[in-house]
Amino acid sequence: MTRLKDPRAPKSPAMSRRGFLVSTAGTTVAFSFLAACSPGSGEAESDGEATSAPDVTYEPIKWFTIDSAGIVTINIIRAEMGQHVGTALARILADELEADWADVRINHVDSDPKWGLMVTGGSWSVWQTFPLYSQAGAAGRQALIEAGAAKMGVAPGDCSARAGEVICGDQKVSYGELVAGGIEKTFTEEEIGSIAIKPASERRLIGEPVQARDIAGKVDGTAMFGIDAKVDGMVYARPVMPPTRHGSKVNSIDDSAATEIKGYRQAIAIDDPSGTTSGWVLAIADTYPAAIKAADAIKVDWTPGPGADVSEEDILDRARTLISDDSAGSILDTGDVETAAAFEAAAQTIDQTYTCNTVLHMQLEPVNALAVMNGDTMEIHTGNQWQSLVLPWLSQALDMPEEKIVLKTYRLGGGFGRRLNGDYAVPAAIAAKQLGKPVKMVLTREDDSLLDSPRSPAVQRVRLAADGEGKVTGMEQHVAAGWPTKAMAPFFMPNGVNGAPFDPFAINGANHWYAVGPHRVRAIENTLANETFRPGWLRSVGPGFTNWALESFMDEAAHALGKDPVEFRLSLLTGEGRNAGSAPNSVGGARRQHEVVRRAAEKAGWGSELPADTGLGIATSFGQERDMPTWVACVARVKVDRDSGQVTAEKLTLVADAGTVVDPDGAMAQMEGASLWGLSMALHEGTAFEKGRVKDVNLNTYSPLRFGQAPELDISFVDSTEVPVGLGEPATTVVAPAIANAIYDAVGVRLRHIPIRADAVKAALG
Amino acid sequence: MAELKVNGKKVTVDADETTPLLWVLREDLGLTGTKYGCGIAQCGTCTVHIDGQPVRSCTYPVGALSGEEEITTIEGLSEDGSHPVQQAWVEMDIPQCGYCQPGMIMAVAGLLNNTPDPTDEDIDQQVTNICRCGTLARVRKGIHLAKTKKA
Repeated sequence: MTRLKDPRAPKSPAMSRRGFLVSTAGTTVAFSFLAACSPGSGEAESDGEATSAPDVTYEPIKWFTIDSAGIVTINIIRAEMGQHVGTALARILADELEADWADVRINHVDSDPKWGLMVTGGSWSVWQTFPLYSQAGAAGRQALIEAGAAKMGVAPGDCSARAGEVICGDQKVSYGELVAGGIEKTFTEEEIGSIAIKPASERRLIGEPVQARDIAGKVDGTAMFGIDAKVDGMVYARPVMPPTRHGSKVNSIDDSAATEIKGYRQAIAIDDPSGTTSGWVLAIADTYPAAIKAADAIKVDWTPGPGADVSEEDILDRARTLISDDSAGSILDTGDVETAAAFEAAAQTIDQTYTCNTVLHMQLEPVNALAVMNGDTMEIHTGNQWQSLVLPWLSQALDMPEEKIVLKTYRLGGGFGRRLNGDYAVPAAIAAKQLGKPVKMVLTREDDSLLDSPRSPAVQRVRLAADGEGKVTGMEQHVAAGWPTKAMAPFFMPNGVNGAPFDPFAINGANHWYAVGPHRVRAIENTLANETFRPGWLRSVGPGFTNWALESFMDEAAHALGKDPVEFRLSLLTGEGRNAGSAPNSVGGARRQHEVVRRAAEKAGWGSELPADTGLGIATSFGQERDMPTWVACVARVKVDRDSGQVTAEKLTLVADAGTVVDPDGAMAQMEGASLWGLSMALHEGTAFEKGRVKDVNLNTYSPLRFGQAPELDISFVDSTEVPVGLGEPATTVVAPAIANAIYDAVGVRLRHIPIRADAVKAALG
Repeated sequence: MAELKVNGKKVTVDADETTPLLWVLREDLGLTGTKYGCGIAQCGTCTVHIDGQPVRSCTYPVGALSGEEEITTIEGLSEDGSHPVQQAWVEMDIPQCGYCQPGMIMAVAGLLNNTPDPTDEDIDQQVTNICRCGTLARVRKGIHLAKTKKA
């Protein structure tokens, strides 16, 4: 067998710099993430050049180091899954450090208890990291200025720092030189907490255009994803998927047909004490194509777990039943939750129900994990968004302490929340331990869909009370859906005002910033959903469906009350009382939402004449959560074909106020991607449970947005120096309601279910 | 055993003739730039060129190749990332997660081989790859930029 010698293939381990070669007992990991970063990707070190690493490294605090060549290496604990997160976070630290950006390297770290909570989701990365990395950079700058002042024999107060140098009058000294001379000063997390950061007017990198560091390797094939990981002596595995997500039990395995397949080794049942998986059988083979064939050939007799007969309609029916039971669920603290009097006194009430189907992540890299026992440590090579969540599962599954399990970091071929749930790492690790050799488990697309933690189908009832003048006097939103956080991270569930716990990621968004008087928001776990499958966090989580109902409803309410949908919203975004906002995260409150609505309407030509069967629809949201509002508004322009019911999204106009924007192009890309994801869920993608499984498992029948369906995008940001908040998801939340509202504007029919299919539009048109 | 010509080099691989070209490239030849996405020629992440034409390697059995065809993968598209499509992709910061992009780039390079000055309609018809991150709007602009560039 001949191996190609490609000039730009990753260099051999022997040529790699220290740290890129992971030597294990009898095993060499040749393709770790960092090794992948070395040639050509621009990320991590610009190693591979023959220079040896400098001997002296200064680490003011664990988040970064500076070496005697002046190279600043910034540690990133967030997963790179397309958001160019390393670039954005490094810019924050480098700005305060007054580093020369050309000297900055990005180091995506492996899991280690010293990093604290490792999670990449919730659109949190920039928001959470900004204060920490600003202060870490400022601390480093302070230490370097002190060292530079001492070296130059001047007072620190007379010095400044810029582009990797400490400057005093016409004297200057480089950071590298100072590090070579030795700097002792280090900082604890507590110490940097009191360090002042620069005023926004002195920022030099934040907000300035930059090329993301991870681009180059993504255009020449050198970027390494989990699926590309490889170690000597590994075997491949593919699961034979059990009939139910929970509680399946293997009675017998017949692999006689698989033994004919060249490269097939054996079938193993996975005993998973963590309960992460149940009823799993893995086909083990020398190559992945052999594992694919073998898993198809192996016959397993199971006793299925709960949910084996459950359909989508059953799940939606359970939701309707629960919503009609006033005692079910948790009431969120929205100030005044007592709405009964308002509805009793109302001159007019509006009451509607909205539904949505199951949605799959369908991230293009199917989940996979390569598990390698290295001495007494289990190393798992995989893309993952929430290392701190899966490590305890692995510990329980392997009966090993968490500190003996390391998640090696790789790029993710799509996250979208799928890889917050690291369930796929567990069977691979069990298999590696059981077989005593490295196991690379890869799911086929179909397996991936069956294992997916999809976005739950949901039913929502929204009600509004108004007085004789059309003034809103009370509102309610009741949301029943599967609860991912209950299934996987119940410690993240707060209690409502009635003492019942709720999943914030299945209700956020309903607790809006409109001034509506008493406001009752009820979160209800769809128990049948949680029994049948493992509900997932999917890009935009709760607000991805709560805002679909809320903003569709606000449109309906406006029309019912005889008001313009934009004017109606603006009149309720008063920014008073509870909606005034507070420092640091929501300064300005609902007035900032008011502004994005106003701007989006103006930019999109709200109120202008449109061709026949063409309409505009508006929707707005505060993004993901009240504690971190990203103010966003979208006007969709659609054209409806009355004969077919086909809806064409012609243009989306979005305006976002995300506070300070750190990486403008990365921020724009997140808005583009998030809005197209929202459009895809509005019009194109969705599936349904049938006999306990999703019925669409591959891209022949599951149909996300494709080329000709992507509309013109007009996206802009409000200039701001407020706290930077998240951008990975907020734009998703506004698109579906904007589309439905635009359909109403175009042809006068109201669609209350997503995805909006052509046949539903046609039926509504009559 | 199968003989192939990949990125200008002749190689012999020990693979069953029904094995999809994708897995031969990735596992036997270590060319992991070509990605697996769906296995049924729907998503396009596995796109490579056979004699300059874009082909979905996940369903292309290696036994259907004679050994004479020029197979080109993302690793062989250019020596140094300088193919016009790669240049345009860098210039416009197109990749997000990047997983679909090798296939996307090969599909677009194939489009430009056949249709050097594609219209939006040509793009819609000939580039049917899926990108879940939502780079599609930029990809379209990137194609129009790439067609103006020289290798």
